[in-house]
Amino acid sequence: MKIIVCMKQVPSSNDVHLDPVTNTIIRDGNKSIINPFDSSALEQAVEIKERLGGEVTVLSMGIPDTQRLLRDALSRGCDKAVLLSDSAFAGSDTLATAYTLGLGVKKIGKFDLILCGKMAVDGDTAQIGPELAENLNIPHVTDVDEVIFVNDKEIICSKLIDGGSQILNVPLPALITVVKDIKIPRLPSIKGIRFSQTASLEILTAQDISADITKTGLNGSPTQVVKTFTPVQENTSVEFKGNAKKIAKQIASVLGEVL
Amino acid sequence: MANLTINKDLCNGCGVCINSCGNNAITLDNGKAIVNENCILCGICVDSCPCNAISIENISQPTKDISNSSGIWVFAEVSQGKLLPVGFELLGKGRALANQKKCSLTAVLLSHSSEAMAKELIYAGADDVLICADKDLHDLREELCTTILCNMIMARNPEILLFGATAFGRSVAPRVAARIQTGLTADCTMLEIDDKGLLRQTRPAFGGNIMATIICPKTRPQMATVRSGIMEPIHRDTTRIGKIVRVPFPSKLKTKTKIMETRLNKSTLNLADAKALIVVGKGIGSKKNMALVNQLADLIGASVGVSRPLVDAGWSEYKHQVGQTGATVAPKVLISLGVSGAIQHLAGIYRAEKIIAVNTDPDAPIFGVCHYKIVADCVEILKELIEIYKK
Amino acid sequence: MELIKPFSDEYMDYLRDESRTVGYADSISFPKTEEEIVSILKYLYQNNTAITVQGARTGLVAAAVPFGGHILNISKMDKILGCRKDQKNFYLTIEPGVILMELNKKISSKKFDTTSWNEISLEAYNSFLSSPPMFFTPDPTENTATLGGMVACNASGARSFMYGATRNHITAIRLALADGRIVSLKRGETFANLRTLTITTQNGDNITLDLPKYEMPNTKNASGYFVKDNMDAIDLFIGSDSTLGVITELEIALTPLPPHIWGISCFFESEIKAIKFVQLVRYKIEGVAAMEYFDQTALNLLRNQKESGTAFAQLPDVPYNYNCCVYIELHANTEESIEGKMFEVGEKMELAGGNLDDTWVARNENDIDCLHFLRHAAPESANMIIDQRKKTDPMITKLGTDMSVPDQFLEEVFDLYRSGLEENNLESATWGHIGNNHLHVNILPRDSEDYKTGTILYSIWADEIAKMGGAISAEHGVGKLKSYFLEVMYGSESIEQMTALKYQLDPKGLLSKGNLFTPKKGGEN
Repeated sequence: MKIIVCMKQVPSSNDVHLDPVTNTIIRDGNKSIINPFDSSALEQAVEIKERLGGEVTVLSMGIPDTQRLLRDALSRGCDKAVLLSDSAFAGSDTLATAYTLGLGVKKIGKFDLILCGKMAVDGDTAQIGPELAENLNIPHVTDVDEVIFVNDKEIICSKLIDGGSQILNVPLPALITVVKDIKIPRLPSIKGIRFSQTASLEILTAQDISADITKTGLNGSPTQVVKTFTPVQENTSVEFKGNAKKIAKQIASVLGEVL
Repeated sequence: MANLTINKDLCNGCGVCINSCGNNAITLDNGKAIVNENCILCGICVDSCPCNAISIENISQPTKDISNSSGIWVFAEVSQGKLLPVGFELLGKGRALANQKKCSLTAVLLSHSSEAMAKELIYAGADDVLICADKDLHDLREELCTTILCNMIMARNPEILLFGATAFGRSVAPRVAARIQTGLTADCTMLEIDDKGLLRQTRPAFGGNIMATIICPKTRPQMATVRSGIMEPIHRDTTRIGKIVRVPFPSKLKTKTKIMETRLNKSTLNLADAKALIVVGKGIGSKKNMALVNQLADLIGASVGVSRPLVDAGWSEYKHQVGQTGATVAPKVLISLGVSGAIQHLAGIYRAEKIIAVNTDPDAPIFGVCHYKIVADCVEILKELIEIYKK
Repeated sequence: MELIKPFSDEYMDYLRDESRTVGYADSISFPKTEEEIVSILKYLYQNNTAITVQGARTGLVAAAVPFGGHILNISKMDKILGCRKDQKNFYLTIEPGVILMELNKKISSKKFDTTSWNEISLEAYNSFLSSPPMFFTPDPTENTATLGGMVACNASGARSFMYGATRNHITAIRLALADGRIVSLKRGETFANLRTLTITTQNGDNITLDLPKYEMPNTKNASGYFVKDNMDAIDLFIGSDSTLGVITELEIALTPLPPHIWGISCFFESEIKAIKFVQLVRYKIEGVAAMEYFDQTALNLLRNQKESGTAFAQLPDVPYNYNCCVYIELHANTEESIEGKMFEVGEKMELAGGNLDDTWVARNENDIDCLHFLRHAAPESANMIIDQRKKTDPMITKLGTDMSVPDQFLEEVFDLYRSGLEENNLESATWGHIGNNHLHVNILPRDSEDYKTGTILYSIWADEIAKMGGAISAEHGVGKLKSYFLEVMYGSESIEQMTALKYQLDPKGLLSKGNLFTPKKGGEN
């Protein structure tokens, strides 16, 4: 079973606030982590590998620093890592990212299953998985919350839909995007960390994957961000003070008016 | 290739851009900002720079001919045999945009039934309705819907295509976008037409802490999924008339994915429709206090929602989650207990008519949006409220 | 008196603490300032009313549970008053009701309400803002404790293995004596002459104290008064279970936060191997900040809780061949150095007969939070079981030990516990600070019979541990529940001396009546 897991480096915190003096955006904390949804995907992939044998390759597109997180993924049971890193990839929207990842997948070669986190916590788009699958022309399932059965021919999984769930049968090769709760990511062992230090981590440029750079990065992105801003809050509120009893009475009277 | 350019003459070395960057891609060199290999051209620094010294140079590619596209399409999603409200909301917004652009508004209905639904879509603002009906479309079949939609788009070339940001919409839309090779903006909360006639799509990013406005100038259709509960539907107008166009179900259309079983939750908790809502955050202190919350909810006939950290901590289930990644709610009254109010949470509650917020931190962001502010331990208040309503 | 409210039903919660002991009281107050404390104390002193001092009531030995008299609850005194710096460090002056969790949040975000701070404080705060991150090292599992409470029992936590107990991080205290006089003590200013100590009150009175003559055990200790030759006066009051005075203000020292903190859970198939591992690691690898232990029953509790889908469901699965766990926390300045230490830990693990596969290494905040959660989950799970059993027999409580012994007795003390539990067929779960030979053996009684057997066994253990030169309370304090064992540990003569010391400062014996001393001794007039 050859499995590829797509992983994104994301900021450890989404805390962003507006500097009151300069009115500009300030980020709090700038450590980066593996997108938590992708961590769950990694765990699911490694569990499948441990059951059926085979190999898990973790694939990411990102800045060179992403190597650190790929090593982390290697310490948690992945066998190989591939990083697509080139300034020609900067500014990619989801379509350009999916194009680039698709070339990465082709470079890795034969595969049976691709797992992606449902979405990344910084962008929240949930589009990479489906777009990548379309580019590769393979079937896919989004929002998977359980892998019920898998062998080298097919996968049976449960996906969350609006108001319920569905059980699906999909022939391989296929792609699934997983929800965070699908698995609880393991912690690496000392042995895993030792392995990760020398494991194979390939860094590929646009040229290495024969990318058409009119389809990558900012140029290759059909969507463009024209403005970013922090949402404004306005407020005029009444404050209730006093002991808990008194406050509760005041709340009850508001509820009485409304309900 | 695109580049981030920092104009050295304009840069005053204030360092604001360094703080704004999530990738450590900017450093100071001799009192001027310089960019390094970590840059992903996200553009946040461009808007953060007080001196307008940063720009992104984009050597524009020859664009495809997009002049012959026209019309706004709204995907009218059917779930369990019913049109979803978000479709009507999108038609409401779509109507306004179509009037502004002086173009037609089309609803797309993929369902095994019915004429009646199509009429409702016209009453809700559509000029025409494209129907593709087949019994295979009974279950929501992403693969089928994608192919049918793509066929329709190729044949008719719409300028704008909107989906509700439901699980289904957010699954089908990217499939369509990738197959057509066009841009798609996820989970928009604001749509407008700019002076060039382009669709400006505004959406939260970074967990809702930043809003980003996005355009799709080079390819068509301009696609967006739009958050439920945000746009206003127009008043149902039964005098409206429109054209109903039937598109045949493509023969020999086979899917690789087989649906073995569909389970629908019987007791669907519908936070979006709740009139009264108690929303609980980490300030509730412990999981056992959730029992008190449920008790009060029963007493006053409210539904219970929770903030994301509670779901993450396993104190509640995802179906109760309110906020950007959960339900968007619009109750008459919302009692917020121990919720600090991260922006992604606030994005989900701002349509509440009255918000009563209890939190121990007087500076909690929730107080920035509430109507009644109470700085106190929410558990104490909760207990007192239960006492009052028990009587 | 206005500040003193007669006791009524709305204050029921204030009659109990985390030990789940319930007492009774006649009146209660929530002072907001030192002046208010003083006027309350003076009034009570005149009326010969006994006083129980309370913080957040998170204690485990009923020190804050009143048995009659007045409850002086300091939880409303929760302001951070100022900041000071010297060449090495930053210090914060705080009121005793500040909650540890809140304090930690403020220190890490460097956000304080500085509106009432003086210029010196603001200046120090400005340089604090631009300094590397700092932290307050004591980390008791219960992080909703007040700082006043932590000082009263000299609390510690996992990281005390490296940084020492609360005592080591307190640089000044102000306290009000039973009669309302104020004493202000700064570390390094007032020392005893051998076992005679003179302190001066704010109004100029000198009080000369005869300190007890006993030698304290050579272990982690929170049992009875801290005394030794030529000691610093401040240390007498830290860990005194509020029997000598009421803390009104304190100054804490902050420590630079190590840039790299990793946690490693090392799992073993047998307790013998785990003990051997501890002996191989401690004092041998620099930067080991904590060494914690979880035995098989503690891990089983977690597994059960996880399966029942509670909050612990977010924890990774603990494989069934993992029978016990030693958690090591490493602190270091560079990534290379911490990685080297981790591999050293690995080598020791193999030497002890463990397998490097059976480790969980937490190298980022998320993973460390996960391991901390795991640590907190053990006591939480045990409490859940007891609360369940209490429903059938209200008499049942958890019988938790808090005893430490000198290093050479680590194996012996394990044998003591294991044989006692086995002979008496008692259910238990054990976790705790193995690096300090300080285990919390928790007897989980199934019925009142078990409970009786357990209490007897507990006394036997206290006896044996006193013989090993250990402490009957290493971090929870003595309070009311362990006063009997204090006598076992030090002997009746030392208790007489302690009692005498108390009466020199509190002649009517009003303060924290029942703490440290069994009622027939110090508490009763």
